[in-house]
Amino acid sequence: MNRLDVFKSVLWTLTGLAVATAITRFIFGLGAVSNLSDSTPWGIWKGLNVVPGIALAAGGFVVTAVIYVLKREEFHRYAKVAVLIAFLGYLSAATALVVELGLPWLVWQPVIYWQFHSALFEVSWCVMLYLGVLLLEFLPVPLEETGWFAGLRRFLTKYKLVLVFLGIMISSLHQSSLGTLFLITPEKLHPLWYSALLPIEFLVSAIAVGPLVVILGVLVICYMYRKEADRKTLSKLAYLGFIVIVIYGVIRFVGLGVNGKLPMIFDGSWQSTVFLIEIALMLVIPIVLLGIRKLRYSQAGLAVACFSAVIGLGLDRANIAGVMLQVPGSQYYPTIYEVFVSLGIVAGAIIVFLFCVEHFKIWDVKWKDPRERPEYCPQFGLGSDVWLGSPGVTERVKYSLVFALSFALGFALMPQDRIESKGVEEITVQKARGGDTLFIDGNLDAFGTLFDHARHVDSLGQKQSCIKCHHMNVPLDKESGCWECHSSMYTANDIFRHDWHASPNGATIACDICHKPEQERQKASAKECRDCHIDLYADSTADTLDTYLAVSYVDAMHILCVDCHRGRAVADTTRVALAQCPACHTGPQPDYLKAEMADELSRPAPNHVMMPPAVLQVKEE
Amino acid sequence: MSMAILTDITKCIGCFECVAACKKTNGHKADKPYVFHVNDGLSAHNWTSIVQRPDKHFVRKQCRHCLEPACASACPVGALHQTSEGIVIYDSHKCIGCRYCMIACPYGIPRYDWDKPVPYVQKCSMCYELVKHGKQPACTAVCPTQATIFGERKELIAEAHRRIEENPGKYINKVFGEFEVGGTSVLYISDIDLGFLSYVAIPGTKALPKTTATAMEAVLPTFFGVGAVMGGLHWLVRRRQKLQRENEESEG
Repeated sequence: MNRLDVFKSVLWTLTGLAVATAITRFIFGLGAVSNLSDSTPWGIWKGLNVVPGIALAAGGFVVTAVIYVLKREEFHRYAKVAVLIAFLGYLSAATALVVELGLPWLVWQPVIYWQFHSALFEVSWCVMLYLGVLLLEFLPVPLEETGWFAGLRRFLTKYKLVLVFLGIMISSLHQSSLGTLFLITPEKLHPLWYSALLPIEFLVSAIAVGPLVVILGVLVICYMYRKEADRKTLSKLAYLGFIVIVIYGVIRFVGLGVNGKLPMIFDGSWQSTVFLIEIALMLVIPIVLLGIRKLRYSQAGLAVACFSAVIGLGLDRANIAGVMLQVPGSQYYPTIYEVFVSLGIVAGAIIVFLFCVEHFKIWDVKWKDPRERPEYCPQFGLGSDVWLGSPGVTERVKYSLVFALSFALGFALMPQDRIESKGVEEITVQKARGGDTLFIDGNLDAFGTLFDHARHVDSLGQKQSCIKCHHMNVPLDKESGCWECHSSMYTANDIFRHDWHASPNGATIACDICHKPEQERQKASAKECRDCHIDLYADSTADTLDTYLAVSYVDAMHILCVDCHRGRAVADTTRVALAQCPACHTGPQPDYLKAEMADELSRPAPNHVMMPPAVLQVKEE
Repeated sequence: MSMAILTDITKCIGCFECVAACKKTNGHKADKPYVFHVNDGLSAHNWTSIVQRPDKHFVRKQCRHCLEPACASACPVGALHQTSEGIVIYDSHKCIGCRYCMIACPYGIPRYDWDKPVPYVQKCSMCYELVKHGKQPACTAVCPTQATIFGERKELIAEAHRRIEENPGKYINKVFGEFEVGGTSVLYISDIDLGFLSYVAIPGTKALPKTTATAMEAVLPTFFGVGAVMGGLHWLVRRRQKLQRENEESEG
């Protein structure tokens, strides 16, 4: 295995997982795969992919500005790489937005509904415009390779300077308006990060780190394809980044100093520790490594400085867009599925990047995978003498397989319980307590009702009355409790045991006893339960079953009790109160509960609406 | 005409009639404890809730309908916007689902349909459809103790101050929402502090849209300013290079 091989396989695996997650998200909603919640509406997709992704894509406009506007021709060979990195950075951010937005098919709506006062309106316009500009800037490269649309290519090359100018103007707006986005949250964003200068800080730090991202990209690619990097030019470019980083450091600390926030840096809270790490990564390490000429010109020094600055900037953006924006009491941590999407989108962008490097003239020559050189052909599989085809075909087959496998694995890993329950917290039902008088409180929240079982037996017709309530019995059992089938407080659950019905150790029922032989074996065409289980249904319930799902405990109680009570109240108008909520949701509670819920009992009004206290009661300070 | 709701915490008995009426009017389904909910009772199916505080205090939580709403200012498509009655309403067909309103709201009111493939933002609309036709919102109409009442904002503020003055010592001397974040249409008077309703105990009186206004006004000047500066630099650099070449040629 060659290092490029391993790298590409990892990338394809991550992409497969991400695609599986994204499909699940579009079918079942954001809650099915993410830990996003009402208290944390923005998670790592915005906090790691969109906001930092766009900041790190700033290399495109900075490097082209240096080359075409300031006429520094020595950097010209990195123009295409810079534009490509910017384009893919924006593309990956836009892809993350598509997964992250609630209604991504309406993402173009800011084009028709104008809102000049909204920072996000400006951001979305900038993303759309700049993506277009970057596409036009990069388009000549593939066009040159394929030879298509020669006229368009000549036109784009001729007016390149116009595109570069547009790119610079839109980008500087865009980078700064991402900072503006967080000006509206002075109370939520931690004071070490909140500043009235956020738009300027965002712009300057993006300009500083943008070129360093390009340098890092070049170094990594050179390592992957075993090429020698042009350290001299790269170091010169890094020096530009160094100057802007120093400017950024000054702005940031003067801002903190003017607002008297400097003491907060050393107050020992975890936020201050994160702040110090961020400053070390983004300011201290790059400034030291890039400031010393000898280190700047060494490959290791350059690589570490760029890497540190890139991580530092990413951390800064992630802090502002997520970590430090947390509402007190909310505990957000991303699910593994969120991480799949987050990494998979980046991996996809890198795959496209490698494709461009291999197929287009990003440098003066195409960088092919070394194994595609003729001397590597033909190739034989490990441990066999089978020729696996030309290297190009082998690659395609191999990576398709990796992708397909991880895609399938992704689906297998999807959170079944989350998707089925659709975010409803799983609460197992507890059986009713007591003897002739039962206390029914399935979720043990002390908001229960007293149920006079003996009286119900009397009034409903003695022993013949059991099946009126105890329907769907396990065969031969007439007194199973409600909680045995309706075992979840709020979600329906499957109770049909197909395995057991067909098993030789169970009911030993042949397939065609339930499924008609000439028809396809489906639930819809199968025999109904009650054809065998004659007393399966209570009188009051529906005649047919659509599913084998037992409804939730709450629904079961309401359907059975309320339906019957309402009918009685209509028949006997002197007992209207029977049909009203307080008939069950108030009343004397058993003695053993009285002590622990004394406060609840003394409430001045009944609980007209059943709501679990877990939702209602704010933890008392 | 700015309409408002005044809630008197001392009068609320916590009967949940307002919550039930809200659910009925807006056709919301039953409540289940969802993992995405905050523990204040508000949810995509619950636009108002009763928060229980120590010593039998019941505080009704709902959208505050700010006079200068941060959510409406943040919304990139104007899905959230303010009516002439001062009510902040939501236009679901404009929404793109960015959830910036949820980030911007100082009271953490907007909720989301996390469990749906086509999700929308959910928040109290002060029963705009009823108010438009001269009726009052379902919650205030149903309140058995007149703890929460509906009326014109000016009159309700006067009424609130009147109650505070007539009952010395009964209330905290402050109408919650009179000046907070630029003033809100949902007002409270109370004998306990209501700082817990917002993210900080005492919200500032500055309207949040003002925080981004300066930066947003600078957008067009920045755009053309950057273009002009870059153009100027480009011209300078090219001129210098041209002069340099001429020098070299004349020397050579």
